[in-house]
Amino acid sequence: MRSISSRRNVGQIRIIEAFLSALVIFSSLTISSNLPLRQETLAYERFASAGLQALAKIDTDGSLGRYIEAEDWSSLGNTLNLILPAGISFNLTIYNAQMQQVNTQTISNGSSSSQDTIFIRYVCASQSSLFRCYIVHLHLSVIR
Amino acid sequence: MNEGKPSDWGRSRVLPLESFGLDQADLSDPYNLDIDKVTRLNSGNVYRIDEAQIFSSIRIGDLSFRLEMKPIFEVTISPGSAIRGPIDTAYEFNVATDKQGVPVHSELKSYVIAGNYFKSYSRIAPQGTAIVNVTIPNNIEGPALIIVLARASPNTRIVSYNAYPFSHNGSEPNIKGTFLRLSPLDYTADVHFIYPETELSNAYALSYNYSSIMTRTPISNQSVNYSIPHYLDVGPTLVAVTGWNSTSFFTEWTAYPQIPLAAGADFNSDTRANVFTYDHIVTIDSTLYQCRIWIGGPSE
Repeated sequence: MRSISSRRNVGQIRIIEAFLSALVIFSSLTISSNLPLRQETLAYERFASAGLQALAKIDTDGSLGRYIEAEDWSSLGNTLNLILPAGISFNLTIYNAQMQQVNTQTISNGSSSSQDTIFIRYVCASQSSLFRCYIVHLHLSVIR
Repeated sequence: MNEGKPSDWGRSRVLPLESFGLDQADLSDPYNLDIDKVTRLNSGNVYRIDEAQIFSSIRIGDLSFRLEMKPIFEVTISPGSAIRGPIDTAYEFNVATDKQGVPVHSELKSYVIAGNYFKSYSRIAPQGTAIVNVTIPNNIEGPALIIVLARASPNTRIVSYNAYPFSHNGSEPNIKGTFLRLSPLDYTADVHFIYPETELSNAYALSYNYSSIMTRTPISNQSVNYSIPHYLDVGPTLVAVTGWNSTSFFTEWTAYPQIPLAAGADFNSDTRANVFTYDHIVTIDSTLYQCRIWIGGPSE
């Protein structure tokens, strides 16, 4: 009798073990599938923030509008390259209020093979006597 | 980022800090920081707020905090040749301006100070490098100091600087802070002597476009202060003081705002959970600086 009871207990323990193992595997799969998504979201937010901040800082004293109106694409690109964190590739396109491209040269710090590009749209009002507004499209990606 | 409480806690040498914040008061532009609030984070300033004050006033629970600020690009000064002639000695310095190894096209203003000798030089570093040739008369006591202010050519609000003390007439330079501590605050440079027998000679306020000799106001036999002029220049003002201790001549310098700086907990030497870093470009007195903030959980 004791032997049959002991076998039953062992069987019950095995069932509990199997159930717990399944629970652990299921939980780890659920958590791990969410982790990269959260990290990607954080990286995206940091990049977008860095890009927006860089444009806002150049615009604070009216420099952004001055570069555009003087068509000084080289200085605009070099300034952006200095302000953005290292390791970020950018491509900038400037449009007027009618959405016609204004920059006649590419404003970029080199091409990136990355597929993950972040897009930022920024509206700049020139501080000259004649009011003009420009729509700035900034694409950012990580240099790999 | 906010202005903290009281809103002028940076300028005051006595007001208790109730709430931590670095923004300049009465300005709507975010990340436009107060020159004195930032300066009071520098450990070299005698009016610095210590870590305990920061933690008690920042109110972020049991999280740790660290803040570092520095110019957006670096200036490196390397000595080249030194040729002694019958009247003066010619020195060559290689100046490099770069951001993490990438050359920065910049305009340079160099100041050379030795005893009562003072001279400025202008150069352009088109590929991020330039040679600055300096001559100092042999009848001037050493050591000497070269200070370089660099302005990024595409945007003059991006400024950096560095200094290099060097031997002249056989007098070797001492380590920074050997004879005195320079503490700028509220457009006043306080000089605190480390040895009582220290005598001061000249004090200079240097920016990219302007330079002047500052006038002193004695405070006690252990300290003196100088009024720092409000230049119409974008960029920091560098303060340099010359003097002697017994027979040793010296030149000390600092920047106002007193950057680079690091304040708060050390995140490199311990294991904290959930550490987040945030990079910001901040404005101080119309100049752009790089700011990195660490926030992390308690040690595991």
